[in-house]
Amino acid sequence: MKVLWSWLLELCDLDRQPTVEEGARALTRGGLEIEGITDLGAGFSGVVVAEVVGKRPHPQADKLTLVDVITERGGAATQVVCGASNVPEPGRKVLWAQVGATLPNGLVLAPKPVKGIVSPGMLCAEDELGLSEDHAGIVVLDDDDRTPLGAPAQRALGIEDWLLELNAPANRGDVLGHLGIARELIAVLRGKLVPPDVDLSAHLAAHLAAPLAGAGPRVDIVIQDPEACPRYTARVIDGVRVDKVGNALARRIAQRLRGVGVRPISNIVDVTNYVMFELGQPLHAFDAQTLTAGVIGISHASDGEKFTTLDGIDRTLVRGDLMIRDGGRGIALAGVMGGLESEVTDKTTRVLLESASFRPLTVRRTARRLGLHSEASHRFERGVDPELAQLASARAARLLCLVGGGQVLGDVVDAYPQRRTVPAIPVRLSRVRMLTGVALESSTCRDALERLGCVVRSSRGRPAEGAVEDARINSGDETFDVTPPSTRVDITREVDVIEEILRVVGYEQVTSTLPAMRQAPGVRPRDRAELARAALAQAGMAEAITFGFQSIERNAALGLPGTDRRMQPITIRNPMSIDQAAMRTSLVPNLVAAIARNASHGRPDVALFEVGSVFLRRGEGVSERPLHELADEPVWAAGVLAGRRPGHIGAGTPWDALDAQGFALVAIRAVAGDVRVRTRAVKTVSYLHPGVTGELVIGADIVGWFGELHPEVRNRLGVEGPAYAFDLDLTKLALAAPSQMQPIARFPGSARDVSLLLGEDIPAARIEDVIEQANEPLVAAVRLLEDYRDAKLGEGKKSMLWSIAYRAADRTLTDFEVDKAHENIVARLVDNLPAQRR
Amino acid sequence: MTDSDHALAELTIQQLDGFATEFARAIEPLVDEQSIRAVQAQFLGKKGKVGEVLKIVGKLPPADRAKVGAAGNKIKNTIEHEVARRLGELVHAAARADLARTFDVTLPARPHGGGHLHLLTQVRLEAVQIFSELGFVVADGPQIETDWHTFEALAIPKEHPARDMQDTFYVSEEIVLRTHTSPVQVRTMLTQPPPIRIVAPGHVYRRDDDPTHSPMFTQIEGLAVDEGISFADLKGVLIHFVSRFFQRDLTVRLRPSYFPFVEPGAEVDMQCSFCMGAAVSPPCRICKTTGWVEIGGAGMVDPDVFAQCKVDSEKYTGFAFGMGLERMAMLRHGVNDIKFYYEGDLRFLEQF
Repeated sequence: MKVLWSWLLELCDLDRQPTVEEGARALTRGGLEIEGITDLGAGFSGVVVAEVVGKRPHPQADKLTLVDVITERGGAATQVVCGASNVPEPGRKVLWAQVGATLPNGLVLAPKPVKGIVSPGMLCAEDELGLSEDHAGIVVLDDDDRTPLGAPAQRALGIEDWLLELNAPANRGDVLGHLGIARELIAVLRGKLVPPDVDLSAHLAAHLAAPLAGAGPRVDIVIQDPEACPRYTARVIDGVRVDKVGNALARRIAQRLRGVGVRPISNIVDVTNYVMFELGQPLHAFDAQTLTAGVIGISHASDGEKFTTLDGIDRTLVRGDLMIRDGGRGIALAGVMGGLESEVTDKTTRVLLESASFRPLTVRRTARRLGLHSEASHRFERGVDPELAQLASARAARLLCLVGGGQVLGDVVDAYPQRRTVPAIPVRLSRVRMLTGVALESSTCRDALERLGCVVRSSRGRPAEGAVEDARINSGDETFDVTPPSTRVDITREVDVIEEILRVVGYEQVTSTLPAMRQAPGVRPRDRAELARAALAQAGMAEAITFGFQSIERNAALGLPGTDRRMQPITIRNPMSIDQAAMRTSLVPNLVAAIARNASHGRPDVALFEVGSVFLRRGEGVSERPLHELADEPVWAAGVLAGRRPGHIGAGTPWDALDAQGFALVAIRAVAGDVRVRTRAVKTVSYLHPGVTGELVIGADIVGWFGELHPEVRNRLGVEGPAYAFDLDLTKLALAAPSQMQPIARFPGSARDVSLLLGEDIPAARIEDVIEQANEPLVAAVRLLEDYRDAKLGEGKKSMLWSIAYRAADRTLTDFEVDKAHENIVARLVDNLPAQRR
Repeated sequence: MTDSDHALAELTIQQLDGFATEFARAIEPLVDEQSIRAVQAQFLGKKGKVGEVLKIVGKLPPADRAKVGAAGNKIKNTIEHEVARRLGELVHAAARADLARTFDVTLPARPHGGGHLHLLTQVRLEAVQIFSELGFVVADGPQIETDWHTFEALAIPKEHPARDMQDTFYVSEEIVLRTHTSPVQVRTMLTQPPPIRIVAPGHVYRRDDDPTHSPMFTQIEGLAVDEGISFADLKGVLIHFVSRFFQRDLTVRLRPSYFPFVEPGAEVDMQCSFCMGAAVSPPCRICKTTGWVEIGGAGMVDPDVFAQCKVDSEKYTGFAFGMGLERMAMLRHGVNDIKFYYEGDLRFLEQF
């Protein structure tokens, strides 16, 4: 809501005149946040009001005029060269940009010769002062303008003023007019309201002329649905003259409307907008001669009904829309926009003025569905007090008569089937104190509420008259019966009143206390995500956080089978861009894309991880149907490696798949503790290289994968060289129980090595499995010492050197025992793998 | 007993005594334990010189045997002592030589660890820690939420103008990406009777994209429900938080504002941690010289919300607050564009 400071002050009688900054602070403190203050006259300086005292043609140029101006009665005249064709006769006032003046385009005026005659500055047109695009001629002030000579031009132009940008809360329809804001200002700064003049006594038609064509004064109003339209008033003003320029008052109205960002249209339409900005009540003026039925009906549209709004667009309506009708014909979309056919035009001489109240929800639905947000709908959506309708109607009628020369025909016709009653709200002083935590005095509360215009009656220890019998209220506690002003449709409950008290008293009066400790922290199980994050960062990776959504294409880069849940992402109906159209089903694509982004910044060496939710449709055999239930949001941990590990002296060695495995194990151990994780080679993970993929298995559960990224997948995501990844479903990991101390081995163990020549395709895990299957109780640890491949070993062969440690808990082993166990294992290896002992 | 026997004894004793000098000379040039032990063995070993000489003892008269024996013991002791001395010298020399060693300690360190928790993770963990000191425990909820939990239960029915405040991403008519962490309040109150003290950090989504708004961002929500919870308690908790988080004594200003799910409602401003509200040159660009920076919204839980969540609003009162973690991190670490948080750019991530 844009607020003009001069307009606001006009409606208040304050104990002390505040500066604009003080006013803005007072409003902000009370909860009407002023987000910005603009000095409307700041665009130029050094331009003053001057009177023309003589003029003659320029001797060297036909189109130029030499103008003598004064800035002081009886002062010496100065000669200014002017190129405009509308230089007025002596006695009229113009705006003179003197030498040294600064104009909105940044120009600083200096004495300048024009066709041989030096001009000390210039006489300004509207465009030169940034007032409009108009360059038709210089600004000439009205005949009756009272601005003193030499005064800043801003004063004459009505822009010695400030524009306040008010962020109106969504529940405060009452502050969408200057009068409502004035009410707030007087509550905070103390003072009285100065209601606008609504006196119509000078503008009543002496008698009714003979039968009128079109709608006359005795129009009937029929409201079909009082819920949707609690009140509708109409009145007729006859004999108006529609004028684009208008008289001084009309120009002042137009000036103010421009100030609050509304384009002036004509004297008549401008009045309706002006009163809306003044009082907060949207109004509509119909050309009364286009209305023929003599009955204004307010009823719902029928499905498919057509209507042309005054912006010339044909609209198709639905049953929920509320229409204003002339008989059966639609003439306005209630609270949203008028119709083209009944629009006020420059031929209009009689208007029917609507001042009505519509249900917020009805207006909002229509405005939203049609994408038609008007100043009127904005206000009705937030609640307009039905009590305002008569006041606004009278105010607008008065102004219409003053600017359009009309007369009011008869009384206002007022249909008010559902008179709004404002019930008194019982408010307990004890509750005020408890909720605010401030020991407010009864008199303070009363004063605060009265400043807001509430009627307050207090009663000690008995229920308020007419109030519902209530044991709590009847407890001996002091109780107020608070009747808020009718404009405050947002105040309906005790707690609303408490907020009002606190707002006026000032939130700064609230001291600070701490609530009692009531719940022991730490009952929650440990958080898998946090455990994994901490461990991976400690291990040397950098944590990334990426968006929960991504493009459908990026998600599809995973290349999984179409039946996989991860290939059926949950899509956003109204994404801001196609890059945010689908919820991620895997952390991997965003991380791979981050490799590419870092590479483009000259950072090819990347070790990034993310731990976060992915979003999966629930259930199996799912489709692309819209989601009507919550999703599964399991927490995964994924990491990517590209380029080289951090170097020491010189570059580090390149990352490889076993680094990805190592980081995966770091995350697993951080969550699940020292569990046995088995690795097996698989070819089924579409986003990993089929020959370089490890599946990580704990017990019978597959918990994730690691390996080299599939070259096609990384190419699709913009990564050129090889890169490695791990991808873990943390929800599959059981949280580690606290580790239990094991007895420290007291007796020395002893190790035996075995060197094997075996087929290249036998994975390391197979050797560990065979050793495990031998079930030798003395085996304490198995380590690979060497994995050696060389053509000299023979086609398809490799050599591995393993070391097996043997130990017993209760004795030192003899060589004989160790050798026996070792030979047993070696024999199994040789037979089962098969392998040759080297 | 013959003279020759005596002479033999004397000779033997002389011979034994002579070994002392011979041994000392032999090990003098040696610099390692192994060669010293070898020489020691030449004298004291099974077939060593001393043993060879002492073989004669059996042939000597008893009176001389003791003398020769004593001389034998003496030379054994002397040699052993000499070995120990010499070895001791060598150990010292080795230790001295070792200490004379130098190494260029100004070479680059070999890198270890070197990872980074995301700044938002660090800030989140710290915030949770601070609130936990006051007895708040972490709660969470889904990011893809029902419209009911996100809006309806929080007194924001469909068509309520307040829905304009938070432009929502819709998945379907009834499922949205949560626009705030407040649905966690609802989920908590529906499952747990008061007293309640929770904080709920998490990602939220709004259709907003500029240097200070990101379509996904992180909020931390707080909720306390109990008998006698007041607006003053809310203020106290917020002051505790900002002071601990910014490590300065900061105050908090609550400004009346409207959120449908709290009443009274407030915008939360904290004292500007950069200029502390003092006039500085150049003028503070963080608070634009107002001395205050906005960090979130808060208020007392609205009775309508309590009703939706089956909490008796006569018996219990509560406060709730919500803050943006990106904003807290921006204020504390000078991050000047919200986009940096989500781009996985190592040039940013490695700074924290």
